[in-house]
Formats: sequence, C-alpha cells, structure tokens
Amino acid sequence: RSFSSEVMHMDLSLPNPSWSEDMRLLFDQFMKKSEDGSWKHLPSYKSKFTQETEDIKIYFPDEKLMKEKLSQAQLFPRSLEEGLGFEYAMFHNCVEDRTVCIFQGGPYLQGVPGFLHGGAIATMIDATLGTCAVVAIGVAMTASLNISFKRPIPLGSVVVINSQVDKVEGRKLFLSCNIRSVDEKTVYSEATSLFVKLDPKTRLT
Amino acid sequence: MIRRGFQAVIRLGHHRVLPGAPHVLPRLNRTSAFGSSTDSLVSRFCLEKTDLKDYALPNASWCPDMLNLYQEFLEKTKTDGWIKLPSFKSNRDHIQGLKLPFGLAATSDKSDWRIFTRCLQVEGQGYEYVIFFHPSKKKSICLFQPGPYLEGAPGFAHGGSLAAMMDETFSKTAYLAGEGLFTLSLNIRFKNLIPVGSLAVLNVDVEKIEDQKLYMSCIAQSRDQQRVYAKSSGVFLQLQLEEELSQ
Repeated sequence: RSFSSEVMHMDLSLPNPSWSEDMRLLFDQFMKKSEDGSWKHLPSYKSKFTQETEDIKIYFPDEKLMKEKLSQAQLFPRSLEEGLGFEYAMFHNCVEDRTVCIFQGGPYLQGVPGFLHGGAIATMIDATLGTCAVVAIGVAMTASLNISFKRPIPLGSVVVINSQVDKVEGRKLFLSCNIRSVDEKTVYSEATSLFVKLDPKTRLT
Repeated sequence: MIRRGFQAVIRLGHHRVLPGAPHVLPRLNRTSAFGSSTDSLVSRFCLEKTDLKDYALPNASWCPDMLNLYQEFLEKTKTDGWIKLPSFKSNRDHIQGLKLPFGLAATSDKSDWRIFTRCLQVEGQGYEYVIFFHPSKKKSICLFQPGPYLEGAPGFAHGGSLAAMMDETFSKTAYLAGEGLFTLSLNIRFKNLIPVGSLAVLNVDVEKIEDQKLYMSCIAQSRDQQRVYAKSSGVFLQLQLEEELSQ
C-alpha cells in the first residue's frame, strides 16, 4: 500500500472523530495555552519526510537503500488507522522546557483484557521522552528506559504524559516523566530515562 | 483496585483475604507456591483444539534466520521439553472461562479488541514473533522480526517496539511460570539497533518469585550472539484469575 504525499504530510496530532470528549477538551485547553506562545503544539506525520529526516540522514551513509525503505516505513505510533491504536498530541512548553503528551489508547493496544498493554505504554513513554530530548538537543537515541507501573490504564481512557529534562551532561540527557489521569489525581506510571545525542562522527551501522 | 494501586494489592495478597472478595479457590497441587501448577496453566492457555487463528506460525515474510531457528526449536518441542506458545488475536482468547479478580473485568468486552503485538495484521508489517516456553526451566525464547511499520531510526526498529516485545515475552513467561498478570516495572538498557526485517532472539529467564512478584531478565541479541541489542529486567505482579461462574 502506498500513500499519496498528501496523506503522508497530514498532521495527525489534530482531533478526529475517534477522539473522546475528554481528549478534545484537553486538546482545546492546550491550544488555548499556546495562544500566548508559551506552549507550542508539535505536529506529527505518518511518514518521516520532514526536517528531522534530513538531519538524521548524515548518520546513514547508504542513501539509496534508505529511500527504498522509507517508502514502506511509517512512523511507528502512527501506523494504525484512526481510533484503533495511538491517538495523541504533543505540546512543548518553551518557558519551562517540558513536553506534555495527551494520549488515548485504542482497542488494538490491549494487554490484560480491558487494559493497555505495558508495551504500548512503554512505546508512548519512549516517544514522549524522545520528543522532549530532540527538542532540547537535536537528534538523540534512547540509551535506557526505566518504567514503574503503578496502576493499569483502562483501554480507551485519556491520560496525560508529563515529561521534562532533568539533567544534561555533555551528550547525555537525563529525562523523566509521569503518566496521570486528566484530573491529575491518579498516577498510572513513572519513568526515568537516558538519551544520548548522536555524534556526527560516528556511524550507527 | 485502580484507586488503591498495585502496592495495595501486594499488601492484601500476603494475607490472602480480601474484603468483599469471593472465597479463594483451593490449590490444585503444590507445584507452584501460588495456585495453579505450570502444567495446568499451559494446557489451559494453549487450547490445542481450537478454530482460533494462531499468528505464531511461519509466513512468507519470515527471513531465513527466523525460519531456521524456528525449525530448530520445533524439534526441541519433541525432545527437550520446550513448548511452542500459540498467539491468538486477543489475550481473552488465551484465558477462556477465566476472568480478572477484584471486579477488574470489563463489563463489556468488544470482540474487535486486539493484543498490541498483533495490531498490524498484514504479514511482515509489524511484529512477527513466536515464543517457545520451557515449563521446568522457567525460560522463554522469543524469535522477533520487526517489520517496516515498527521503524524508528531509518532502517532500524523503534526502541519502543523492542520494549513492547520484551514486555510481551515477560508477560507470557510470568503468566505460565507463576500467574504473573500485570507489569510492575521494566528496566531496559539499549545497546545496538535492530535492522528492520532481521531476526532478534530474546532470551528470558525467571530469576526469582517472591512476595507475590515474579522477577525476570532478558537479553535480546542476534542469532549468532555476536551483537547484543538490549538487556532488560521485568517485575510482574502475581494475581490469580477467577473462574467465570455464569456462562
């Protein structure tokens, strides 16, 4: 299946019919906060034909091979159809240097019946922390991820992932995040991580 | 339970008496300290006579390495006590006749719900994997081939997809080795990237079972073990499923 360039460049971090009311309300709240410039909505596309791809190209010398693979590849959390998998939007707070992700997990992310799969939660944590890292220092990769699950997340519910940079040491970036309910009263998970900024001099293969 | 969290469940579990909970089923035998024996868990889980589609079977997208290693382990299921685990569309299919305790069971279970690691249905696009489990050694081996839809860095699998594969392998191992149900923690150290379309072998061991928790470790590496992709540890909460009384 190949997608037209229109679809590939559609911003998927915008409300669609599968979004629950909680999700829409939260989105509106953050968009309102973005009006004065302190917050910024981060777009999210199906493919990676974006500036980020251009930046990352220097680490992968085999450009022709890359182009072939890119035509099939999709950004992981965006590869499922509307409402079935990961529905999310990310906002970055430029003043406080932190990233918030509002996330609604769909029916294809099940683990224990009725709840989100631990691996799907880990995927969103990695995606949110990764975004926070990239905004802070540019292209970076996950070196380690340490997640503590406090309560199971019901399938279809909306949660808020708050991530921040804790410390920077040269090319190492220490980040942490927590996952809470919309009213912030329930903590579902907490995580810490280490991301490493890629060095243009070293290749990844 | 969602209000109280996993820690409260562990504290209550020590006394095996829970306010308002139904009478705990008598132990079937003493093989496992917790409740059901591994053998009875395995046979109930594997559902040998079923029409359900088993996704953990070779298909055209499997690379030669994956096919070869699969055949090797298939031989071991005949001689060395290994068991190939079936992989159904939903975890509910694996636990037919059983339900979650403490009123956690969903009141409406929609039939279109799918387990995350089988979310991408086209062969070769997402997670291609099969898990072999050894009941007496309490070990698992997962053969994992990430597809192009799991990409992170160009040509390589996303860190999150390996985390998910590790969690899923931990999950099946924990359940069969000791009725582990929910992930309590995951700690992953990434070393190298897995090329999309290649085979990664995940070796999982149960290190100990203590205080209603199962502790496991995992190494994900290339088939020849020359390249380590990641190492991780996982802790799961033991929670006994209940029989569904009404049908």
